[in-house]
Amino acid sequence: MVERQLTISRGTKRSIVKALLSVVLTLAVTSVVFLINNVNPILAFIYMFQGAFGDINLASETMIRMTPILIVSLGLAVSFKCKIWNIGAEGQLYIGAMLGTIAAIGIGGGPLSLLAALVVGAVGGLLWAAGPALMKVKLGINEVITTFLMNFVGIYLVQWMISYPFRSPDTYFPESSAIPSSSALAVILPGTRLHLGVALALALVPLVYFLLERTTFGYKVKVVGENPEAARYGGMEIGKVIFVSLVFSGLLAGLAGITEVMGIQFRVRGSLSPGYGYTGIVVALLGNNNPIGVALASLFLAAIMNGSSTLAWTMNIPMGIVDLMQGLLFIFVLASEPLVRFLERRGVLKL
Amino acid sequence: MIEFLALTGLAAATLRVAAPLLLASLGETIAERGGMLNLGLQGAMLVGAFSGFMGAYFAGSLWIGLISAIIGGILTTLLFGILVINLDLDQVVSGLAINLLASGLTLYFTRVLFTGGVSPYLGELFGPMPIPFLCNMPVLGEVLFTQTGFVYLGLVSVPLIYVLLTKTSFGLRLRSIGEDPVIASYLGINVVKMRYAALLAEGILAGLAGGLLTISMFNTFDPRIVAARGFVAVSIVILGRWNPWGALAGSLLFGFTEALSLRIGIIFPELSGASINQLFALLPYLVALVALVVGGRGVRGPASLGKRIGRER
Repeated sequence: MVERQLTISRGTKRSIVKALLSVVLTLAVTSVVFLINNVNPILAFIYMFQGAFGDINLASETMIRMTPILIVSLGLAVSFKCKIWNIGAEGQLYIGAMLGTIAAIGIGGGPLSLLAALVVGAVGGLLWAAGPALMKVKLGINEVITTFLMNFVGIYLVQWMISYPFRSPDTYFPESSAIPSSSALAVILPGTRLHLGVALALALVPLVYFLLERTTFGYKVKVVGENPEAARYGGMEIGKVIFVSLVFSGLLAGLAGITEVMGIQFRVRGSLSPGYGYTGIVVALLGNNNPIGVALASLFLAAIMNGSSTLAWTMNIPMGIVDLMQGLLFIFVLASEPLVRFLERRGVLKL
Repeated sequence: MIEFLALTGLAAATLRVAAPLLLASLGETIAERGGMLNLGLQGAMLVGAFSGFMGAYFAGSLWIGLISAIIGGILTTLLFGILVINLDLDQVVSGLAINLLASGLTLYFTRVLFTGGVSPYLGELFGPMPIPFLCNMPVLGEVLFTQTGFVYLGLVSVPLIYVLLTKTSFGLRLRSIGEDPVIASYLGINVVKMRYAALLAEGILAGLAGGLLTISMFNTFDPRIVAARGFVAVSIVILGRWNPWGALAGSLLFGFTEALSLRIGIIFPELSGASINQLFALLPYLVALVALVVGGRGVRGPASLGKRIGRER
């Protein structure tokens, strides 16, 4: 019998170092930005941490914030592993949320409606990703362009749907009607808003891990992503693998959208997602497309998001700091690979 | 009954809204001919729009706005250069990183500089510059010769860039890098220098394309001002087969769609109404996707497009 090694492999160690390095560099540059704004960076980060985890309520709000980010980025991790760059998760999320909401309202409450809404939402996201996936596989059109364009089609479509055909009759702003209360996800921690969706997101972590590490599909995804030539010689149907990994990321994006509706917002609004689909890209890369890494990274990004709202009213740092930190994080995650290589050559780092 | 006047207006508007797409897609054409798929074009346009607005607003001069838009565009494409040329990182991911960084930077600093994060309006803007005599021609005068300087610049750039790419030794060297950078460097071509030169050109054009949105078209800055124009421009490059004339044709197609979606109620009064108008906002993106399906199948770009050189291996 082969003994499983419990030690961390060299590759894993390397990606942990890379992720930590990118976080440290991002915090360093953010500190400079704080200093420019006459704000003590250490104090700012303490406030941020308190804003994210200060008490049970704040901590559960951070978990709630993590939920859509985690679900989206788990899906993206699968497609990124296949080197398929789905940047259309934002649109897939909105379409999933909209269709799932329509299903919940249409069926009219009850456990069936709850389940149906989740399924319809996820399938909606899948279908929205299927167009770009077909264009990629059948016509060879770059999925980055098509998935991004589909965001605009999808979000404008949802905007229109909540402004006209599915508009709630009893609110002033354009938004859909509320889903029946019996199709909302139950609160699992009394006194907070922590809902079943959080558990669902966390349960997806081992599932996606299993999918990637223990199934033939996961193996194919890795081979197609790392060595398409080998995949071709090995007789793999590359197109099929690409198609499935892209629509799978759409499926989870749609699920993230409907979970956000059923757990926290209860209706579709134009402000449903502050860019979770884009945050998911950074999270998947920071977590090195590894479900456990992705879970930690989405908690980190959720903490920054919630912590920054505390910063906004304590230190007058605008909320845009989240977007700035995301952008920096993205650049540093990318640059960390050559940086680690450089440090290794210099003998500073031994991995 | 479609009014003739409405049609001339539509044609003029087509050129006006095509201008940012044309400038951006011309820049991207140059970069892609050198083998660089720069999806950070979107980010370069955003930085150009931002720095153009800030220059014009704080210096009180549109010309300073214009110059700072160009500088903003150049800095963004040069950052892309550092990532893909010097560090040899994946082009697609580097472009995406730049887009996210650009939207983070512009969003943050807009909120720092203006309370509520809403930019004020500029007092003046680069308006139409009628060309003497020619602007008095019937129809053509209004459509072609009463436009902003950005439109003229875009139109004039098309033949110039065509000549640059196809008839000069610079263009020949750049295109050979685009086909195979390794062989090109064996032939004594300085790949790094040439690629930076291409990115410099793209930076200028992308900066102008973004800058015109704030200092000539919308008169204000909004972090969402670029919408998907950068990605539409990348689609135009594909549809235009990496040729400046193709970029012109593609830009006009999308300019027409956008102009139509803005004016649908004027041209077809029976179709007017808030509901339809809002739905038509998605038309340009849908047309871009359909055009890619129809015109993007089996198209081959420069052979090294999007590939890493892999010097490290």
